[in-house]
Amino acid sequence: MRGFGELEAVIMHRVWDHDGPVTVRDLFDELRGERSIAYTTVMSTMDNLHRKGWLDRERDGKAYRYTAVANREEYSARLMREALAEAGDTEAVLSHFVAQMDGEQSQVLRAVLDKLTGRRPS
Amino acid sequence: MIPALVLFGYAIAAAWCLPPLLTLLTRRGVSPRLGLAAWLMAMASALAAAAAGLQSSLRTVAADWPTLTAALCRSVAGTACTPEVYRSAFYSAGVAALAAVSTAVAVVALWRYGRRVHRARRQTSAHADAAHITGRVLPGTGAVVLDDPRPAAYCVAGHPAAIVVTSGALAVLDQPQLAAVLAHERAHLAHRHHLLAMLTGGLAAAFPGVPLFARGAAEVARLTEMAADDAAARGSGRPTVVAALLALATGTVIPAAALGIGLSAAAHAVPARVDRLLHPPRPAVSAAFALALALVVTVLAIAPPAFVTMS
Repeated sequence: MRGFGELEAVIMHRVWDHDGPVTVRDLFDELRGERSIAYTTVMSTMDNLHRKGWLDRERDGKAYRYTAVANREEYSARLMREALAEAGDTEAVLSHFVAQMDGEQSQVLRAVLDKLTGRRPS
Repeated sequence: MIPALVLFGYAIAAAWCLPPLLTLLTRRGVSPRLGLAAWLMAMASALAAAAAGLQSSLRTVAADWPTLTAALCRSVAGTACTPEVYRSAFYSAGVAALAAVSTAVAVVALWRYGRRVHRARRQTSAHADAAHITGRVLPGTGAVVLDDPRPAAYCVAGHPAAIVVTSGALAVLDQPQLAAVLAHERAHLAHRHHLLAMLTGGLAAAFPGVPLFARGAAEVARLTEMAADDAAARGSGRPTVVAALLALATGTVIPAAALGIGLSAAAHAVPARVDRLLHPPRPAVSAAFALALALVVTVLAIAPPAFVTMS
């Protein structure tokens, strides 16, 4: 368990797994079967996720009903756009294992590899 | 000769003339650490000289201000316009102009640096947070997986930092290659390479078009890659790191047996980073490069204070 950040991830994944809106109570009931956790912890984590822009919520009687602002695939795609510098305006500092190569460079490499591994160039 | 001019002259000469020399000495990554030290020292040296020059010109302006204004008043009034007074007034006016221009440059540069670093920090830690929340945990590694067919692996600093691997990368890497990739990314985080990237990125934004900072940022990034490659190679062996590099670069599975046979013969076609892993330099060459770099670092460290004391 990595502390608070890890719980945020767990809760987001649960929300994504639900089709409709969820309440703090719903997730608390699911989670307490698996780990010792306080209701207030789930509540403050979801409140945090709402504040950070991950969850939308609307009041339903005394409780809030939470929904994810975007689904997991959309977040994933957004991260990859930023990571592969397609967004253009990103200034996040990422260290790639391999920098993106231009088409020519990667063709040359592929040709070398095809020769080495005895594969026909595709 | 005004000390400020000497110091500014040195800063400008360093900013334009050092990049080719440093590129020559560090390009092949014979000693990434010394290479990093040389580039960073060059930047520090140029900035220190420029800062000392600014300070010196401001001091001169402050000291000459009464004489300058008095001379201007008298010449406007038409009395006592001896050549000496004119010369001294021109000199003081020149120093004042220099001080004004360099102060303006410094203020703009500081503002640009601050804005760039602030944005980079914010976006970097937001990216790390989002990666932790969105990604699947890759058991036993501390890395997270994002579902994307394009092979990619990277790390991003934050609280906590994240190492991200795409499902496309997992598809082309075998276990030892994946271990090498993760070791490489962990080395970046452990050695705080992101701080170097933010610093050099900020300086490049502060002084656009100045080769020492523009090229310096790119070369520092290259050298940190090489340093991380070396760290990964220590645990995984050079061939595995090379295989992982090629696999991710081309999106092709590289069987372990493919290396060793002929890849080194074809190395002229592959990037410098792969070349140096395949053909590590002979010890004598390494020592020569290390000596040259150590010499450069020493000269760069000594130069600004030497100019200050001389003048």
